[in-house]
Amino acid sequence: MEESHLPSRAPGALPGRPLPQTNLADILERVLDKGIVIAGDIQINLLDIELLTIKLRLLIASVERAQQMGINWWESDSSLHSLGPGEENGGGRLEQENRELRERLERLERQLGVGEGSKESSARD
Amino acid sequence: MLRAGDRYPADLTGVQASGPVERVEAAGLAALVSLVPGAEFGAEPLRGNLNDLAWLERVARAHEAVLERTLGMSTIVPLRLCTLYESESSVQQMLERERDSFVEALDALSGRQEWGVKVLVDPDKLAAEARANSDEAAALEQELSARGGGGAYMLRRRLERHLRELSDALAREVAEHVHARLQDWAIDAVTRPPQNRDLSGHEGEMLLNAAYLVEADRVGELGDLVAELEAHHSNVGVRVELTGPWPPYNFVPGGGAEAIA
Repeated sequence: MEESHLPSRAPGALPGRPLPQTNLADILERVLDKGIVIAGDIQINLLDIELLTIKLRLLIASVERAQQMGINWWESDSSLHSLGPGEENGGGRLEQENRELRERLERLERQLGVGEGSKESSARD
Repeated sequence: MLRAGDRYPADLTGVQASGPVERVEAAGLAALVSLVPGAEFGAEPLRGNLNDLAWLERVARAHEAVLERTLGMSTIVPLRLCTLYESESSVQQMLERERDSFVEALDALSGRQEWGVKVLVDPDKLAAEARANSDEAAALEQELSARGGGGAYMLRRRLERHLRELSDALAREVAEHVHARLQDWAIDAVTRPPQNRDLSGHEGEMLLNAAYLVEADRVGELGDLVAELEAHHSNVGVRVELTGPWPPYNFVPGGGAEAIA
């Protein structure tokens, strides 16, 4: 959850750990992924899917950040994002469809003598 | 992993709370080790346990605590979590085999520390700042207030997309600036992906997650530089979070995912 108010940084002239207990994310991204890697007697294959699941979960960018960067392909209305000058396909087609439908509707309304664009309104009769 | 003659805390608790940390020496080096039960650390149970966050947290914190306490006394080179050997002599053989690369690492890291830097920003302030500096945003907003009906919806989406792009560009600018200044000043630097909020519990947007290798006696300067950068970017509500000193996980020669043996 995003919050607009950030807590103030711990004061002090010298840098130091701001929290009494070290952040688990800081620890895990170091001990799991860094340091000297030597194959011990017990083989731990880091490509093992189960371990990789943790690594993926812990080490990749959050979904919120990905969305912020415009990586939103999973959103159902993605076609609405492709607007603006120079855009092809996607949104352009949708806009064109809307235009065509509107024009058809106006034509039909004129033929029937109804609707706002109609020159022959019932008021005249 | 230390040089054989170097000091380490006498009362270290190992990865298993019931057992002490022991020292295994060979080839002029000393490895700090914990005796652990096969029932938890054997190949099969280990796979399950590594996926149990509570277990992983306990073991990771204990592992890090040993390194952290020793860091205050000697140059120490961290090995990755769960590097396991069946016997003391197996550890000694490893030390003899890897002696050259370990000595190289210890020499390269003498008198140096790793410090972590995270740049966090208030997303609302970031967005407001980005918006304030854009003529195009102002123009779109004017057009939007003049137009009504169905056309306004499409225009609003376009404005939103534009504002997102502006925010992202500004975020990148801030992150790049902070990292460039720190990298310039430090001995070495690495960047990491932003952390997962579920794990880190951080507030705001994480724009940068980096580690820097610095001379231990210049750490005061690092604090000053961080304060300066925070002030410089106060218009976007930046907080530069400093953690350290860390054992030099990110700066062991050949460190990272490549195996040595």
